[in-house]
Amino acid sequence: MRWKYVLCIIGALVACVGMTMIFPLAWGLYYRDGSAHPLALSMIITIVTGALLFFAFRDSESSKASSVITHREGMAIVALGWFAAGFAGGLPFYVGGVFESVVDCVFESLSGFSTTGSSVLTDIEAVPRGLLFWRSLTHWLGGMGIIVLSLAILPFLGIGGMQLYKAEVPGPTPDKLKPRIKDTAMTLWKVYLLFSAAETALLLIGGMDLFDALCHTFGTMATGGFSTRNASVAAYDSAYIDYVITVFMLIAGINFSLHYIALKGRPLVMLKDPEFRVFAFMITIFIVIVTIAVYTGGNYDNVADSVRYTAFQVASILTTTGFATADYELWPGLTQAILLFCMFVGGCAGSTGGGMKVMRITLLCKQSYQELFHLIHPRSVSHVKMGRTVIKNDVLSGVWGFFILWIGLFVLAAFVVSATGVDVVTSFAASLACIGNIGPGIGGVGPTENFAWLPDTAKWVLTFCMVLGRLEIYTVIILFVPEFWRK
Amino acid sequence: MRVIIIGAGEVGFHISQRLAVENKEVVVIDTSDEALRKVAETSDVQTLQGSGSSPRMLEDAGIMEADILLAVTDSDEINLLACFFADMLNDKITKLARVRGERYTNYKHLLTGEGANITKIINPDEEVVNSVLRLMSVPGAVEINEFAGGKIRLIGIHLPENSPILGSKLIHLRSKIGEDLGIVIAAIVRDDQLIIPSGLDVIKKDDVVYFVCDIRDQEEILERLGISSEPVREVMIIGGGNIGFKLAKALDNKYYHTRLLENRQERCEYLSEHLDRPIVLMGDSTDQEILREENVHDMDMVIAVTGDEETNILSCLLAKSLGAKSTVTRVNNFGYMPLIQPIGIDYVVCPRLSAINSLLHFIRRGRIMSSVSIKGEAAEALETVILEDSPIVGKMVKDLDFPRGCLVLCFQRGEDVLIPRGDTLVKPNDRLIIISTRQNIPKVEKVLTTKVEFF
Repeated sequence: MRWKYVLCIIGALVACVGMTMIFPLAWGLYYRDGSAHPLALSMIITIVTGALLFFAFRDSESSKASSVITHREGMAIVALGWFAAGFAGGLPFYVGGVFESVVDCVFESLSGFSTTGSSVLTDIEAVPRGLLFWRSLTHWLGGMGIIVLSLAILPFLGIGGMQLYKAEVPGPTPDKLKPRIKDTAMTLWKVYLLFSAAETALLLIGGMDLFDALCHTFGTMATGGFSTRNASVAAYDSAYIDYVITVFMLIAGINFSLHYIALKGRPLVMLKDPEFRVFAFMITIFIVIVTIAVYTGGNYDNVADSVRYTAFQVASILTTTGFATADYELWPGLTQAILLFCMFVGGCAGSTGGGMKVMRITLLCKQSYQELFHLIHPRSVSHVKMGRTVIKNDVLSGVWGFFILWIGLFVLAAFVVSATGVDVVTSFAASLACIGNIGPGIGGVGPTENFAWLPDTAKWVLTFCMVLGRLEIYTVIILFVPEFWRK
Repeated sequence: MRVIIIGAGEVGFHISQRLAVENKEVVVIDTSDEALRKVAETSDVQTLQGSGSSPRMLEDAGIMEADILLAVTDSDEINLLACFFADMLNDKITKLARVRGERYTNYKHLLTGEGANITKIINPDEEVVNSVLRLMSVPGAVEINEFAGGKIRLIGIHLPENSPILGSKLIHLRSKIGEDLGIVIAAIVRDDQLIIPSGLDVIKKDDVVYFVCDIRDQEEILERLGISSEPVREVMIIGGGNIGFKLAKALDNKYYHTRLLENRQERCEYLSEHLDRPIVLMGDSTDQEILREENVHDMDMVIAVTGDEETNILSCLLAKSLGAKSTVTRVNNFGYMPLIQPIGIDYVVCPRLSAINSLLHFIRRGRIMSSVSIKGEAAEALETVILEDSPIVGKMVKDLDFPRGCLVLCFQRGEDVLIPRGDTLVKPNDRLIIISTRQNIPKVEKVLTTKVEFF
């Protein structure tokens, strides 16, 4: 492990994050709401710190030896880079005096980068707009991934970049769209940018101003969930806006490689993709069931409203966005159970969504069936397949390991949170909402509440959970395995 | 006509024998002295020892004057190479290659296209798979062959004891089963002897009857012959080699419940990776335990297609004794053919026989479209198109100068399938299906051959 080299790259990442603060700074200057000063200061501090790290270690002996990033270094860079970005991102909130404590700043910042969307802000509309823009921008950067962004723009990361890419991109087997990793990263960002532009345009047509349209686009495409209003998307009370956001949340929950192939002129490939089919099936069946439940349960007077609110909530939770237009805690029990299940599942592999991913759940189900099949035909030789592709055993055991760690860490986090004095339902819901990158949970952290009232210890644990969930456990947890540090 | 055959294996041996009987000039090339001696002893052919893929050998065999090159060694590469060289030496020659490897057969269009110019790629495995699939489509049939692009079928079948046509003369056949259906009895196999029947022959108990019909009438005819057939759905394939895999792939759909038994671990992995629905089982086909575990007694058909014919025969017998409804056995060695029925195996498929059939199709003179051997090699059914200038155009069927033991089975005129009477006129562009005993084939060909080709 070449620590100096790792720190050098992290320095570059931090500087990159600092440079993106130019966008909220511009809004701050435009609105003259007092956010320009803290943003400019944070930007300078971040860039200078990053540059110092980068230049201090760039010419060290170990960096020169070879610029190929090893598997271990890749994970260390990504995991530590994310925490560094989280602290850097919290700086504007701290300097701007939005929060008193460090933990709140880091919580809000990492909730943004990890596209969770859980907030410790009680009055969103009181925060200066430049800082609100930064808050939403962290979503957008974290959605496709700050590492993927760096791979696309930093030329020196090209060699061995696959290690970094694998450590950040969600899903058991990341696709490589182009022969070169740099081009793959660039392509993904282009697709992301294209959909974001489309959604912004559609929201502008729906009557939002540019600021709100951009912030909500960031929240949607990254499956984040930060809004600029206290009442979230419900504040607009427009069926058009609800449906636009619903559709784009679903788009963001689908594998971006599939979007790329579709945009290249082969949209039918998507329909044949087994993961997409499971995703589409779940969305449809859940929307139908929940719609019937809320309509017959008397939550809404007419079918149109039932469909509108159901589709939005189901899409929001399944893709782990976390926007809300209705308080689903008032809905019938069955619908809450379904939404709870959705929280575990999450989006597709290679999407910006969180959760365990449709792909993994599908593989786990298929493998369980496989076991039953083996009991019936003891001599059979069979493989788990997704479509026509055979899933190798090491991938499957990776998925099992992931599943166990995910559940284990989720439960562990819930224990710790409840130990700080929070009630059981809220502890479990908050941990699930954070490790699944969803945002709102149920109980004390439901769609109408926020995380501000939790004790500091609980917030630190939940912050850690968000990064665990976003980087899909392994990349982060590996830092805590002693074997990782052995020479 | 000169025919060069490369490879004196089972296929080369039989083809050369057949062609020599039909008075063709045959040159056989093989590297094995032993194999060549066997060919030379049994038939009137020239033999050359050496590698068929060498241009020098091809020249020695008289490639410049030859009309047809058959490359039928066991090696795909040698067969292809021989065809490539033959094409360079004499671009007019008809080149037939036996190719089995999937890595080549998937690119048939390249091999038969510009550049390679191979006239036809013959893949015996594929034809075996097709014949098994045909057998599955008519449960109870002994043999099924197709003509006119699949529109006409020649079906050989055991008649049940309650069949209404038992004991009746063939001239009364149509009145027994209905005038509206076109059916012609092409041959009867009785006590292992093949008879090309006349109208006065009587159908007896235990006969195997070969009849020709339009595929659209097939089900109706089978029903009226008193053959009740349950469709085949539960299938067990023994042997996951080339043929077993292709067969399982063809049955890889919702309709069939297929199990594929294979005893090599690595091959099982491959099969399971490349098949979707069929259940791949690892084990020995002669292990009663596994056959019982997989409910062999519920199987509609057990198909043994391993490379080892003794294993195939024994596993089929075992499956049968455990209660399987019917069994198909792959046999390579013609020597075992007479054994099959007495020991109780229902059907036989033979890649070599399939290869011979396909090869013969191309060698026939005139415009013969396809020909198949029936009952081993006792008789042959030919499909031919009548040209404008054919000597038989305008003649009535009864006036045709065909030898005895030869029968015009049916006509295809445009879209219609006609069952000929004595006074049916032969018109240009008719497709005729003719059955003939093996020794009469040259005479039939002579009658059919267009005048032009004599010069």
